Amino acid sequence: MSDTTFEKLRAQFPDAVLDVSEFRGDTTATITRETFLDVARFLRDEPDLQYDLLVDLTSIDRRDLGIEPRFVTVYELYSIPKNHSARLKVPLPWDNSTEMPQCPSVAAIWPTGNWHEREVYDLMGIGFTGHPWLHRILMPENWVGHPLRKDYPLGGEPVYFSSDRDNPRFAHLGKPIMEGPSYPSKLPDDVDSETHLVINVGPQHPATHGVLRLAVELDGERIVSVNPDIGYLHSGFEKTGENKRYEKFIPYTDRMDYLAAMNNNLAYVLTVEKLLEVEIPPRAQYIRVILAELQRIASHLFWIATHAHDVSGTIHSLLMYALRERERILDIFEMFCGARLTTSGMSVGGLRQDIPGAFPDAVRSFVSEFWKRLQDYEAMLTRNPIWLSRLKGVGILRAEDAVALGVTGPMLRAGGVPFDLRKAQPYSSYDHFDFDIPTATEADSYARYQVRMREMEQSLRIVEQAVNRLPEGPFCTDDRKVAPPPRSEIDLSMESLIHHFKLYTEGYKPPVGEVYGMAENPKGILGFFLVSDGTAIPYRLHVRGPSFVNLQATDLMARGHLLSDLITIIGTIDVVLGDVDR
Amino acid sequence: MDWISLLLVPAIKSLVVVVALLTGFAYLSYVERKLVARFQVRYGPNRAGPFGILQPISDALKMVFKEEIVPLNVDHVVYLLSPALTVMPALVIWAVIPVSGASFTLFGQTITPYVSDVNVGLLYILAIASLATYGIVLAGWSSNNKYSLLGALRTSSQMLSYELPMGITLVSVLLIAGSLSLVDIVQAQRGVWFALLQPIGFIIYFICGLAEAGRSPFDLPETENELVSGFATEYGGIKFALFFMGEYIHMITISALATTFFLGGWYGPFVNQIPVLGLVYFLIKVAFMIFLIVWIRASLPRIRYDKLMHFCWKFLLPLSLLNLVVTAVVLVLVG
Repeated sequence: MSDTTFEKLRAQFPDAVLDVSEFRGDTTATITRETFLDVARFLRDEPDLQYDLLVDLTSIDRRDLGIEPRFVTVYELYSIPKNHSARLKVPLPWDNSTEMPQCPSVAAIWPTGNWHEREVYDLMGIGFTGHPWLHRILMPENWVGHPLRKDYPLGGEPVYFSSDRDNPRFAHLGKPIMEGPSYPSKLPDDVDSETHLVINVGPQHPATHGVLRLAVELDGERIVSVNPDIGYLHSGFEKTGENKRYEKFIPYTDRMDYLAAMNNNLAYVLTVEKLLEVEIPPRAQYIRVILAELQRIASHLFWIATHAHDVSGTIHSLLMYALRERERILDIFEMFCGARLTTSGMSVGGLRQDIPGAFPDAVRSFVSEFWKRLQDYEAMLTRNPIWLSRLKGVGILRAEDAVALGVTGPMLRAGGVPFDLRKAQPYSSYDHFDFDIPTATEADSYARYQVRMREMEQSLRIVEQAVNRLPEGPFCTDDRKVAPPPRSEIDLSMESLIHHFKLYTEGYKPPVGEVYGMAENPKGILGFFLVSDGTAIPYRLHVRGPSFVNLQATDLMARGHLLSDLITIIGTIDVVLGDVDR
Repeated sequence: MDWISLLLVPAIKSLVVVVALLTGFAYLSYVERKLVARFQVRYGPNRAGPFGILQPISDALKMVFKEEIVPLNVDHVVYLLSPALTVMPALVIWAVIPVSGASFTLFGQTITPYVSDVNVGLLYILAIASLATYGIVLAGWSSNNKYSLLGALRTSSQMLSYELPMGITLVSVLLIAGSLSLVDIVQAQRGVWFALLQPIGFIIYFICGLAEAGRSPFDLPETENELVSGFATEYGGIKFALFFMGEYIHMITISALATTFFLGGWYGPFVNQIPVLGLVYFLIKVAFMIFLIVWIRASLPRIRYDKLMHFCWKFLLPLSLLNLVVTAVVLVLVG
């Protein structure tokens, strides 16, 4: 939050602001619950401020921090026109009764808040007054308790490393640890299942690419409403993260948007590095950019492959061609870190290891070949009349709707908003490279197709520049409190040995504070919210998955279209369920 | 005419046709998989036998030995009947298709290269082809599944729509040939193939044929990405195989009819000197048409359902009518 924001807010609402604090460049204002909605509306509408994008909405259970009141909701705001951000915290007075703490809903101010609030309600047990349809979103409707609360039992089964089945201590194995009766999931109240046909697209359906269930209300083949039902893949990454050391969460980030593991790694390590305030050497930054951009191409390739397959049905040709190119990117990743899909390639402080000698040439040869391949794909699709007729005018998401729904990434840019964090708030030396932000104006599926195709070209440009100007130097920071010393030093230096020992037994301990880190993923903004209590384990870890937010726009985009168009629309959202459910 | 030529010979010929078609279907699926694989930089089946040529047999065995699963809430009789209803018309059409020009004599019987030369062969084909719709509609309806129902509704409207331009195009063929018998139609192409006289008609027929057989880009009855498997969602094992068989035999039939109506049937160089070449030419032409269909499948996206109907009613139908009028006028002028 810039100083002017803060002054204006104080001037407008003298009693609303309880406290303003700054940490690592993030300014946080604490607002009273009573005035919060007015403040929010003011921040959105004031011409000098224009906080039009609610990036994230989350909450903290401060029980173990010993702060009263226990629950607080957190709002991460960003202004696309003004390029500044602010964080609001709203403490929720609560008398520890069985009733939930209550918070006013911002769904009317920023519609994107709808799903975020349902997530907070579901996982943290905070009620939102004025919310349009407050139901659980990730956990099943009959779930008991709210898992992200600090007093929620961790549970789990002990693992015995033996196969002695007669041992009485194995008696519980194979039995469910919790009752799981089947429960009919709820449909929103305005769904008319009497006169309309309600059809379940998913959770097992060929076109949803994962366990996504869309309860589609149909009038003939026309879509009346689409109600996404998610959470089938929910694996509680946030809770896991709150019980692991910072660096141990990196492999989990691979598994969120599993088509963009490098980008997830990057966003997470950037956030932890922001919390730790470490300097990353330029070589590491450039290699990170190369890896992230290659991953972006790979993700878009997978998108075009599956999208073409969904829309077209039986042509798997493009699927195979695109996956062939993606395979080459995965080969490069394998050359770098040994893994292909779940790379965990980056570590806090830089990289795990330097690139091998053959790496730059492998990247160069891929880049030069891929330019030609991209022309082939364009030849197959861009002016194909059937492709045009399937995509043009389908699933229109205007820029103002997109921003209101928090939609970011190519979907927003297809509506004509040139918002890309790599340009707006350059991280990892993206400002050293010359590239454009492709946009389109039609805001339909074809525009999104065009934007993603152009983005692959821009990523190639970035990779080309980065690999040709790759600086020499260390591949990770020399801050021994964060990154382990090289093996050769350990034999010679007692200090190095101690650092090494401390790092691997205790980990690093960031100072008390909270940071929000964002990065531009192939699908939109991936955000991490970290609260440190001074120990080596994050006190609160929240993930803003771009697919989760983007999926919320399905209903708006699909209404009035045909069932066939729904497939096109889900395709152009480029949804990855690992990212949605986390 | 004794009972041998009346009953026994047609029965044997029918048997030969059916066996040939079933084998053809099996190896068509193999050839298609191989071809599509090559289009998609893959290998295709290559495990069962040399080059995977035993793949169709292992597929068939697998299908036959699958557990027979019938969902609880289906209409039993109709549910079990509809796969057969789908296959049958595709087979029966072959009764009137002449595969060669020359008859030969065996055990004192003159064997003609067709099961029967019906003098209303063309009408017979149109009538039987429409029956195939029933199998699919009934399958979708009896499955008691929303996806099946939507798939079946799409199929029926698609098939009915595309029969119109197809029929009208065939009327143009009829005008030139002057006969409804398929043998006469082929013989009328002794000099020039109708594909050259009726280029627009040929293209319309080919497109309608794709739609009739439910092939890409008109494979809306299945639309695996929208309707899971369309009308066949609730079918498994040999029942599913029958639908599959119906589609593939339909594809062969469409190719054979295109050959008969437009590509001069069995005619080709030296066919008068060496009559057996007729059969070879016929098979080559059919194989070419099938190759085209597979190629299209590997390269074109699928048309959206409503666009498919617009294309048929607003473009194909007027075009075929225009084609018919022009043909008729030219025929009158030429005499």
